[in-house]
Amino acid sequence: MSRLTRWLAPTTTARAHCDLPCGVYDPEQARIEAESCHKINEKYAANEDATFRTRAIAIKERQADLVKHHLDVLWHDYFKPEHLEKVPNLHELFWNANKQVSKVKASTEAADSKKLLEMIDEIDAAWKATGGLEKTRVAGRPA
Amino acid sequence: MAHRLRGPWRLAIEQASMEPALSSGDWLLVDPTTVRWPKRGTIVAFHEPDGGALSVKRVAAGPGDRVPFEAGYLELADDEAWLIADASEETAADAGLGPPIDSRRYGPVPVALLVGRVWFRYGPWRRIGRLSRG
Repeated sequence: MSRLTRWLAPTTTARAHCDLPCGVYDPEQARIEAESCHKINEKYAANEDATFRTRAIAIKERQADLVKHHLDVLWHDYFKPEHLEKVPNLHELFWNANKQVSKVKASTEAADSKKLLEMIDEIDAAWKATGGLEKTRVAGRPA
Repeated sequence: MAHRLRGPWRLAIEQASMEPALSSGDWLLVDPTTVRWPKRGTIVAFHEPDGGALSVKRVAAGPGDRVPFEAGYLELADDEAWLIADASEETAADAGLGPPIDSRRYGPVPVALLVGRVWFRYGPWRRIGRLSRG
């Protein structure tokens, strides 16, 4: 680089930036965290110890936040407008599932966390219907 | 205004979300004295609302405009603009990158985050020229 070029070169860099996703998406991530919430609700109901219950609620809230995070990543990064042709109720599925996560955070009823699992299964079906299993996992799901 | 005179007056671009108007490695002149959102179609430098990274995008809509969002519309506030990348997802993918990140990801951008109007490319030599308003 010549002295003139060095003198002219900008010292600040701006990004015209793009996402660099790893491209691996699977509703199973959200489901495992939701299963944690469900199991915690079951254990909560079976144990009346106040300390245990306080701890259970704190952990459930943390896991529920992870469910929301994984659902949001799927919704915003994996699913594309063209997927709406195959899954016309896609936004409704995610909207309802995220609302249900909020309900699970505030509730200790196993029925609520069970319902969340069913909603994630519907999202899983949408992911499979749009080729997610073949397109985003390295070698499909482990058998 | 005084702090704006400190610049930046020149920027280098990296990544590909403004292809074909801007390419990675372009050297640009910026007018940092711009304190209001310029006309639709103008390329601007600004700090991204989530994370603060210095970025460049094109003004797709300005204060008070309505922009299509989800199934309806979003009305921009008096100090907000809607900033969109030129590159399509396909163009970005050709460059080995994911979807462009713009207002469709982080929403409207308040004028407090505006750094300046990008108006001229002075490098590389073969691409020198004033930037069009898209």
